[in-house]
Amino acid sequence: MESCEMATEQSAAATASAPRNDDIGVETRLELFRLQVEIRDCEKRAYDLFLQNMIKGTSHLSLGQEAVAAGFGVAMRKGDKSFCTYRGHAHTLARGAAMEGVLGELMLRDVGLMRGKGGSMHLTSVEHGVMGSYAIVGAHLPIACGSAWRAQYLGQNDVSVCFFGDGTTNIGAFHEALNFAAVWKLPVVFVCENNLYMEYTPIGEVTAVKHPAADRAASYGLERIVIDGNDADIVYRTAQAALAKARDGGGPSLIECMTYRHSGHSRADPAKYRPPGELEEWMKRDPILIYRQRLKEFDVDDKTVEAIVAHSRAKVEAATAACKASPAAPVELLTADVYADGGWAWRN
Amino acid sequence: MVDAMSNAVIMPQLGETVAEGKILNWFKSVGDEIKEGDNLFEVETDKVTLEVQAIVAGRLDEIRVGVGVVAKVGEVVAVVGAGAAETPKSARPAMQTLVRSAFEEVATPLGRFGAAKAPNGVRATPLARRLIAQNGLDIAGLAAEVRRQGGERIDEKVVRAALAAPAPPAPTAEGEVVMLNAVRLRTGERLAENWRTIPHVFQAIEIDFTILDRVRRQRREAFRQAQGFSLTYLPFVARAACLAIEAFPLINARLADKSLVLSREIHLGIAVDLAHNGLVVPVVRNVGDLTLVGLAKAMNRQIGRARAAKLTPDDLSGGTYSISNNGAFGTAFTAPIVNAPQVAVLSTDAIRLKPAVVSTSQGDFIAPRMLGMVGQSFDHRAFDGAYSAAFLSRLKQILEQHDWGEDLGQAS
Amino acid sequence: MAELSYRDAVARGIAQEMRRDRNVVFLGEDIGKAGGVFKTTVGLYEEFGPLRVRDTPISEQAILGAAMGAAMTGLRPIAELMFADFLAVCFDYVANEMSKLRYMTNGQLGCPLVIRTGNGGGVRFGAQHSQSIENWTMMIPGVKVVAPSSPVDVIGLMAAAVRDPDPVIFHEHKALYAMKGEVPDGEIVDTLGTAKILRAGGDCTIAALALMAPRALAAAEILKRERGIDAEVIDVRSLVPLDTRTILGSVAKTGRLFTVEENPRLCGWGAEIASIVADEAFWDLDGPIVRITTPHIPLPAADHLEDLALPSAARIVDKVRRVMNG
Repeated sequence: MESCEMATEQSAAATASAPRNDDIGVETRLELFRLQVEIRDCEKRAYDLFLQNMIKGTSHLSLGQEAVAAGFGVAMRKGDKSFCTYRGHAHTLARGAAMEGVLGELMLRDVGLMRGKGGSMHLTSVEHGVMGSYAIVGAHLPIACGSAWRAQYLGQNDVSVCFFGDGTTNIGAFHEALNFAAVWKLPVVFVCENNLYMEYTPIGEVTAVKHPAADRAASYGLERIVIDGNDADIVYRTAQAALAKARDGGGPSLIECMTYRHSGHSRADPAKYRPPGELEEWMKRDPILIYRQRLKEFDVDDKTVEAIVAHSRAKVEAATAACKASPAAPVELLTADVYADGGWAWRN
Repeated sequence: MVDAMSNAVIMPQLGETVAEGKILNWFKSVGDEIKEGDNLFEVETDKVTLEVQAIVAGRLDEIRVGVGVVAKVGEVVAVVGAGAAETPKSARPAMQTLVRSAFEEVATPLGRFGAAKAPNGVRATPLARRLIAQNGLDIAGLAAEVRRQGGERIDEKVVRAALAAPAPPAPTAEGEVVMLNAVRLRTGERLAENWRTIPHVFQAIEIDFTILDRVRRQRREAFRQAQGFSLTYLPFVARAACLAIEAFPLINARLADKSLVLSREIHLGIAVDLAHNGLVVPVVRNVGDLTLVGLAKAMNRQIGRARAAKLTPDDLSGGTYSISNNGAFGTAFTAPIVNAPQVAVLSTDAIRLKPAVVSTSQGDFIAPRMLGMVGQSFDHRAFDGAYSAAFLSRLKQILEQHDWGEDLGQAS
Repeated sequence: MAELSYRDAVARGIAQEMRRDRNVVFLGEDIGKAGGVFKTTVGLYEEFGPLRVRDTPISEQAILGAAMGAAMTGLRPIAELMFADFLAVCFDYVANEMSKLRYMTNGQLGCPLVIRTGNGGGVRFGAQHSQSIENWTMMIPGVKVVAPSSPVDVIGLMAAAVRDPDPVIFHEHKALYAMKGEVPDGEIVDTLGTAKILRAGGDCTIAALALMAPRALAAAEILKRERGIDAEVIDVRSLVPLDTRTILGSVAKTGRLFTVEENPRLCGWGAEIASIVADEAFWDLDGPIVRITTPHIPLPAADHLEDLALPSAARIVDKVRRVMNG
């Protein structure tokens, strides 16, 4: 696969004059759209619930970054393993976890994926291949390498996919993991969602290179890949190629997806550090706007599109109701599962 | 996990009215191979202690209820697997944990033993304090001895030495006669004086000893084996009196010229009949600091010394309250004479099976119960009948409702 | 029966488990072709090959992280940290990741791995390569911690650690690598969470760990011979799970407790045991609980200074004698 660098203007032009190649197919496109819409709607509901104090603590929303999650979510197979950060709601939903499991965990209720034991930053659903969400920046990159090593050692053909933000590229574990994966040629895909901000600071102010992930790939003998992370089709194709490469024994890939988050770093952040006009510019490149247009170009009728949207809204309502009706986890869970025997005992 | 290949070991039915049992001991560890009929664990109910055997063979895979924990009848206490199968010999888990709460990860012992410092300032180690309380020793005496020998504290060595001192000779059927006449003469004068000067009032209350008696009988043999003398009702009554006095301090006072001097400590006089040849009232000191077993030992020791005529003037003075025990002859109640300058004396008489009315939710029934009268003679100058009655009521409550089994569990 | 060195016992323990289960894999720096910088893993690369015995870059975070990812998804990895002091470089994986994974995921994920590391001083490596850091790992909920003091214990506890479904930190002692001991033939499997009474006695209890265990034993012999003090010596072996039953049972018998700890004083492992005993066994104590430790200082490189710092048999004898006779 050739490396491609997409600037905003180029992307718009390319889409407008692109031939109607249908390597992806309508079924898959509808799936990509459905996932993005459901992720958007669920995250918006999370936002509202936080304002109503039904979600406590903190929450890191992916509004605006749905295309990366959806593109990889559809490209990954059932046995593939994904690892993401505390901004992981989208990636968890994209692998098929139920909305009430996700919202329930944010609301710290018994119906949550982990019954409220982990919270928003640690969403896990092993059944769907979501092998944890990690709150210590960079920690999960070596962990993903370990999962990939296991696949390589046992001759299993699943791929481990690791999602992280631009800020992660400056922490030690990033560099250790990339080198490790490259040297051992592990079946792991590293996906950097560059949303231009490391927490409250523009990434450019704290990084020695322009593209924090892609411009470091060469240090690890890897291909330089930067893509438009707001176009689900481009993400999907890139994902497919990287997954196939890994599955075939071709080793790791590092993919930088350019995107933007609509809200602050976390709910506590009103994001006043953004220059005026920046948000509005990126809103024009809202992934869901792009994809609605894409579906039109491939002759998907409005009825089908709106049915997906309506179904998503209904799902969110049903999930919210289920969560509100769910009790908090029983008190016994406080001391459960510290150790494999289910208990907490450190003495006899 | 109990699956098709494993067997659940449950808390068996141990008696018609028994709902639960406490595991005292596991004879096997997780990982052990069990044969049918092997002793698996020891369980205690409020009626009985017994061993439970395995009814299936296999490998003890899991212990769910640990030592010291209560489980309901029918509850799964362990799991025995089908036996060492193809799985490799896995590391035997060592954690047969006591199922404690995560907020009580360390089991702080509740309750306390006696003072950390003797009246003369000499300190006792925690172990020494426990041994003093459990063996009915007197910290003041030990502290004086330590001072005399130039030591710094009362430790285990000091206490063990005191315990190793030769035991008083067993009471003989007949005592020395010569002293006794003097005793009778001396006490007679005092008794007359007390009767003349103290306005006596006597009150009695009927106590249901049924539950206490059950406990006493259960533990009787083990107590005799361990201590070398019989566990009678008297230590229970004495202990209950100490507990009751905590709420009624005027009982444990001395009448001075125009005042009532409350005593911080309880020094208990025990009326000992010298084989119908006189009465002495040796004192057991600091009984408030003693456990039930310690009190029983101390009382037994003093009674033994009294009967062997080994009492010293120190033994006969300093009492703050007294007990007169008359139960041996089956009397209903006795009104003893107050032992000035004390202001009250407790009397116990026969405790026997009698018909009593027992009220249940199904109605009132007649049932045989162990009943006995406990009375108190008191000096009406010190307090009134209502106060004494309230004390007796509290005493009754303690004798009937206190967890005596637990007190006997604290044997040294 | 055969005599085996502690370092050879490490290799034997790992080999025993790798032969038994092909999911047991091993990674670390210079562990493969070089047989380990302390020669603790000689022969493993030859027997099990480069896929199962993997040399890594100098990347402690990647070593522990990869071990964790492999353990989470089906393997039973053993990871080496060459010097225990290096745990500080990758402490996130112990403190925040593997210890909390099962709890946070409500039991969906677990971490059956072993981190083995060269702990302790007395070998003149200087302050950053000589620390005893068992207590750093003892205080994190969710891991298990062992520190064997003899070759047979190395094999048995290594087997127990590999077979345990929780993350286990296995503190080997660098100064014990040359120590020799009797080891039975065949498979050896011990039990985590069990202490060993090395010497029974009635006058006082001395609890020790790793290198301090043989020193406490030597001190006990001198105490008996020269002072008539009969000490019971306990090799604690396992900090988590902790065999409190053995320790409390011993204190109930003797009434006196001493700990001998190689770690610097503050928050050493003995402080926790002292606290438990002072609480649960208060009424068994006939004297103060005394901890004999390295002073609270970094360790010097100079040999005579380092020897002064770590508790020696002589220092143990002196302290116990003074406290017991006082």
